[in-house]
Amino acid sequence: MINIEIDGKRIETENGTTVIEAAHKAGISIPHFCYHKKLSIAANCRMCLVQVEKAPKPLPACATPVTEGMKVFTASEQAVKAQKGVMEFLLVNHPLDCPICDQGGECMLQDMSVGYGGGASRYHEEKRTVLSKDIGPLVSAEEMSRCINCTRCVRFGAEIAGQMEMGQAFRGEHAEIMTFVSGTVNSELSGNMIDLCPVGALTSKPFRYKARSWELSRRRSISAHDSLGTSLAVQTKNNHVLRVLPIENEDINECWLSDKDRFAYEGLNSAERLTKPMIKQDGKWQEVEWQVALEYAANGLRHIANGAGAEQIGALATANSTLEELYLLQKLMRGIGSDNVDFRLRQSDFSADDKQQGTPWLGMPIADISRLDSVLIVGSFLRKDHPLLAARIRQAVKKGAQANIIHSVDDDLLMKVANKTIVAPDALVAALSQVAQALDAEKNGKAQTASAGAVAIAKSLSCGGCVAVLLGNFAQQHPQAAQLQALAQQIAALSNGKFGFIGEAANSVGGYLAHATPGTKGLNAASMLATPRKAYVLLNVEAELDTANPQQAIAAMQSADLVIAMSAYKHHATSYADVLLPIAPFTETSGTFVSTEGRVQSFKGAVKPLGEARPAWKVLRVLGNLLKISGFDQDTSEAVRDEALKGVDVAAKLSNTISAIDTNAVSAAGGLQRVSDVPIYATDAVVRRSAPLQATVDAATPQAWLHSEELKKLGVQVGATVKVSQGQGSVSIAAAADDKLPRGVVRVAAGHAATAALGAMFGTITVERA
Amino acid sequence: MEKIAHFFKSFLLIELLKGMAVTGKHLFSHKITVHYPEEKTPQSFRFRGLHAQRRYANGEERCIGCKLCEAVCPALAIKIEVAERSDGSRRTTQYDIDLTKCIFCGFCEESCPVDAIVETRVLEYHGEKRGDLYYTKPMLLAVGEKHEAQIAKDRASDAKYR
Repeated sequence: MINIEIDGKRIETENGTTVIEAAHKAGISIPHFCYHKKLSIAANCRMCLVQVEKAPKPLPACATPVTEGMKVFTASEQAVKAQKGVMEFLLVNHPLDCPICDQGGECMLQDMSVGYGGGASRYHEEKRTVLSKDIGPLVSAEEMSRCINCTRCVRFGAEIAGQMEMGQAFRGEHAEIMTFVSGTVNSELSGNMIDLCPVGALTSKPFRYKARSWELSRRRSISAHDSLGTSLAVQTKNNHVLRVLPIENEDINECWLSDKDRFAYEGLNSAERLTKPMIKQDGKWQEVEWQVALEYAANGLRHIANGAGAEQIGALATANSTLEELYLLQKLMRGIGSDNVDFRLRQSDFSADDKQQGTPWLGMPIADISRLDSVLIVGSFLRKDHPLLAARIRQAVKKGAQANIIHSVDDDLLMKVANKTIVAPDALVAALSQVAQALDAEKNGKAQTASAGAVAIAKSLSCGGCVAVLLGNFAQQHPQAAQLQALAQQIAALSNGKFGFIGEAANSVGGYLAHATPGTKGLNAASMLATPRKAYVLLNVEAELDTANPQQAIAAMQSADLVIAMSAYKHHATSYADVLLPIAPFTETSGTFVSTEGRVQSFKGAVKPLGEARPAWKVLRVLGNLLKISGFDQDTSEAVRDEALKGVDVAAKLSNTISAIDTNAVSAAGGLQRVSDVPIYATDAVVRRSAPLQATVDAATPQAWLHSEELKKLGVQVGATVKVSQGQGSVSIAAAADDKLPRGVVRVAAGHAATAALGAMFGTITVERA
Repeated sequence: MEKIAHFFKSFLLIELLKGMAVTGKHLFSHKITVHYPEEKTPQSFRFRGLHAQRRYANGEERCIGCKLCEAVCPALAIKIEVAERSDGSRRTTQYDIDLTKCIFCGFCEESCPVDAIVETRVLEYHGEKRGDLYYTKPMLLAVGEKHEAQIAKDRASDAKYR
């Protein structure tokens, strides 16, 4: 520890900290622009100049490490003169167009110039102009003249996002920030540059000119689009969500927010929103009153329960639904007498269900990921599925952790990957068991028989430090998911580490806690669709996009007598549903999400539901009342939550432990195997309708990706249209080459309208010349 | 003694004559009554009357929709909506002043960075219904066009004091 004095205040601080950190910790503010606690030190804005005793000139507080006995003056004559001078220089080329600047009112430069600048400028010459740039649909670089060249955006790209898409070119007065090489910024974390930019140079494109900062009300909420449970602020005006910003939470999202969470709100008021209940009569959709629609739904369910039997009714929900909704849905189904309820729509292997002792979760707090020494990530499109978790692992890798990958595709994770094994989906289990075998040999001093890749991973995992095995979405959706889980457990045990699942959606853990899973008599999501039911209750589900096998799902829906779709949007359901009940998305309802680390977080609605849409828990409650099921008399969502979690010790329930499972070998059928990811901006209904997100590179129409040798074998040129078929369905999409893919594999995205006619996310698939 | 003084005062009607003297003085002095509306009192160039929206000489509206007037208005009389115009500039799509709420404090004019919203010398306006005093953007621009010469002159006179 070191003793220093800032403005006469004695401060004890750790060796190695900088003056600005010590001052901020002691509650003394030092003006700054380029300094940011999560980024490296650049010291190029010079705003944080302070006087230090015995130093002949003022020193930048952000780049000056503390030394014993140091005396710092932040408001002495010399410091104030320096700050005033720097401020005047910064404003020399700043356009002062604050009245039309979106940053106006929340601008660091504005605040600092009021706080530390002079009253008037002495500069009357012409200001420099920097041409505007189009850097993509999310971030606006329309007014680059406002830039003060702090390089925060450049450092963010290089250090946090992992790719340096922005850079500073030219020198002196000609220096300007621009995109490097490619014309656009494509990072899935690019929106954070908007928050980082201390001036109005980088602003949000969808938010451009929508509102001034002081007009917005701010509501706390929780991310509904991935499983981290990111804290966010929903900003509204006139009952419209106009912006979403991160709330700093060191344990979860630090101070970042993924673009998916930041810009998904644009889909909330899409033209496709369902605003009135509708029922289909004589093949025609009619808008009706809630009472009529609910009675129609209740009568239909009663009729089928009394006639064909309650087990002919199935309920499907997405894992983006709140805990309350999932709880009431399963309660409704069990009240009717059906045990068929599930929320794991993209899962294909349910054999772990009766062997799983608790609720699968991350296996550790999210914050612990930063402290890992070695991690094995199995089957995860990490960067796209969990952008912030990827950023956290990237930081850990920078600090020396080793990332090991076992997967079927080799996408660039923008971090140093120590070892990777890329195999076809049917060899994933074998690859993982090789690692377990190598680890066993390593630990017990046996001769290594496993492959060199597996041995390298095993060596990395047996480093003796903090180790984890993480199973991603691909591993959870894999047809041998239970085996992967058992192997991960074995590897974690051998390496004294932890293992867990990176939850697929906001409430992947909450669904289990709400018992929205079939009981022993019930059918799971896959068998509910494989053996079609007479009636389905859908909660937030778009059957052709949210399920593991869209073909099967659509067939099941079309053959059903009654489909009750509770959805915020009018969508493909109009072709198979009988009743459409408009429900409120997460900004319009209160609810609870249980994040992948088991954190139970409730949130309140930020705006009123659009039109006649109602929170789904209220709709389910009334349906329960109409069906005369007892226990549907909750008045608030909090009451539902408390009932759902009554006597449940969430922390004690979280467990990934699985008992011995049967090995179910996937028959090695010839031909090409499908590898499917759910593209980052196709994961849920709101995201799919966000126009700015859909305009990004990540939301491009899916292509059929093959190894170029495979393409050659098929005689197909890159870019040519190919016919991809699975089962009875086929789609025509462009062929693309990716030589990092294993042979015998086609990568075709799921969850997208262009590929919704295809079948299961795994399995054989044929590609032919169109 | 006092009684005698009082007797003479009331007997000789001195109080009355004093009062009549005041009346007489004003009867023959210069009249200050203004025969409104034929005659009008002089106005300061800082007079704060009916609001107007101004345009530049080339016909472009001045207002850029910064919403500072809306924010500063103590009576919450101003309502603004903004959108990007086809040429990319920031413009209002709605600019309303509810004159029944307005207290004519002039803060809107003070806050305007482009001298778009101004208070003119016009004080003779009326409405037959409440709604008539809800001035919308075209109405305000029309006022501005009508009085631009006077507005510009008044701003010029005031400029040296700013």
